[in-house]
Amino acid sequence: MKIRTIFYLMGQGFMNIIKNQLMSFASITTISACIFMVGIFYTVSVNMDYMLDAIETTMGMTVFFDEGTSEEQIIEIKSLLEARSEVHKVNYISPEEAWTNFKNEYFTGKEDQLAGFEGENPLKDSASLEVYFARLETQKDLVAYIEALPNVRNIRQAEQVVEIMQSFNTLVRYSSLVLVAILLIISIFLISNTIRLGISTRQKEIEIMKYIGAKDAFIKGPFIIEGAIIGIIGTVIPLSIIYVFYERVIEVVTTEFVLISNYLIFMNIMDIYKNLVPMAALFGIMIGLIGSRVTIHKYLKV
Amino acid sequence: MIRLENVTKVYPNGVKALDDVSFEIEKGAFVFIVGNSGSGKSTLIKMLMKEINPTSGSLYVEEKDITKLRRSKIPKLRRSIGVVFQDFRLLEKMTIYNNVAFTLKVTEAPIRTIRRNVPMVLSLVGLSQKANMHPKQLSGGEQQRAALARAIVNNPPILLADEPTGNLDPKTSWEIMKLLLDINLRGTTVVVVTHDKEVVNSMKKRVITLREGRVIRDMQKGDYGYEN
Repeated sequence: MKIRTIFYLMGQGFMNIIKNQLMSFASITTISACIFMVGIFYTVSVNMDYMLDAIETTMGMTVFFDEGTSEEQIIEIKSLLEARSEVHKVNYISPEEAWTNFKNEYFTGKEDQLAGFEGENPLKDSASLEVYFARLETQKDLVAYIEALPNVRNIRQAEQVVEIMQSFNTLVRYSSLVLVAILLIISIFLISNTIRLGISTRQKEIEIMKYIGAKDAFIKGPFIIEGAIIGIIGTVIPLSIIYVFYERVIEVVTTEFVLISNYLIFMNIMDIYKNLVPMAALFGIMIGLIGSRVTIHKYLKV
Repeated sequence: MIRLENVTKVYPNGVKALDDVSFEIEKGAFVFIVGNSGSGKSTLIKMLMKEINPTSGSLYVEEKDITKLRRSKIPKLRRSIGVVFQDFRLLEKMTIYNNVAFTLKVTEAPIRTIRRNVPMVLSLVGLSQKANMHPKQLSGGEQQRAALARAIVNNPPILLADEPTGNLDPKTSWEIMKLLLDINLRGTTVVVVTHDKEVVNSMKKRVITLREGRVIRDMQKGDYGYEN
């Protein structure tokens, strides 16, 4: 196929869109809505993952041991835990450290009250292990495992926070899947109708092209290009909108939820777009192409 | 040029449109194919354009059996057959020049060829002065001449005219027939499918008569000879 022909077909594709403004507009709008949803959910989802990741490495559990458990025994458990894949890191907190931390936390500025404790460690049986998770999903299994270990007295964990965040994340994912699927179907349906309208208004021209001996690609080309262009426009619009509003939304969220703002760590938009743009573009063009292919296959007999 | 060997076409609804039809049209010939509606003329045209395939038999165009033609080769076949129709089928939004150039654009001819051939055929059909008009501004005869120009601008070896005078008055019909003769004299094989008795009788050309899917008469310098 000649370059001139490709330009000609692209010109015809654009013409189809312009001539069919209303339907093209409807198609572009639904694809935009679809990609917008994909974009929003993806952005929310990767940010949630990002935050969970951050929390995973900062949030751990503390394991306490029975009275009289020796340091060697604890170190042994420590190395046992470190060998497990779901464990990110284990810190040993000796009774001395525990006591120092405790003093720093509760007696700073009130050192006189510590007079009676000199030379004695009231937390001598409070050696502990701080366990950091590699993955939050496996937290429960790990807890069960640790509870079954000898000498373990109790475990303090931040399980609930994690569970809430995880179920929220799952909810976001499933609901986005459903919505995207619905919008996807509407988009394909609308594009296919747009293309069908284009085919019917050009029926005579198509008939003549056929008799003159135009190749399949020449006849179908403009409609395929029309679908692809609709897909591309429908991708560019929502991604631009998200780009423009991303920082502002973050600002609003962090000021609205001051209490948990420590946990709200957002990704850079560019890091998100690195994956989102090619994904959305592929998705948008695919919708466009599928929509036009379906119709061409059905209504354009060459 | 065109050869049918025992061609039979039975449509899925059971109608037998062509029944064991055989004939040959030589290169450079001028042939009428006549018959009433339902005689199988339209089926024959559709088969030549390979819109449909015969149920059995072979159909040769330029010594190639087109019933065995691959889908991707169909455009090439159609480029070798120029067609005109009763209803002209010009594109209204284009000028006459562009309507004619359309054939060459669609077949991806070089721009040079377009610039040379289009004015040439327009002058051949006598429409040079009306090149920039739109089909609606032309008379029926002029529109049919424009359609002829479009059909021959890429020099196809065969010209197939499907009821070319069906919408025209006798005088205009004559002009079109003279034009078809001119085209034939340039070496193009011309096949005219018609039921215009006047035209057929006065031309004294070969006439193949179809009735209910069969060739009932095939005469050199024939006439319509077929009462409706």
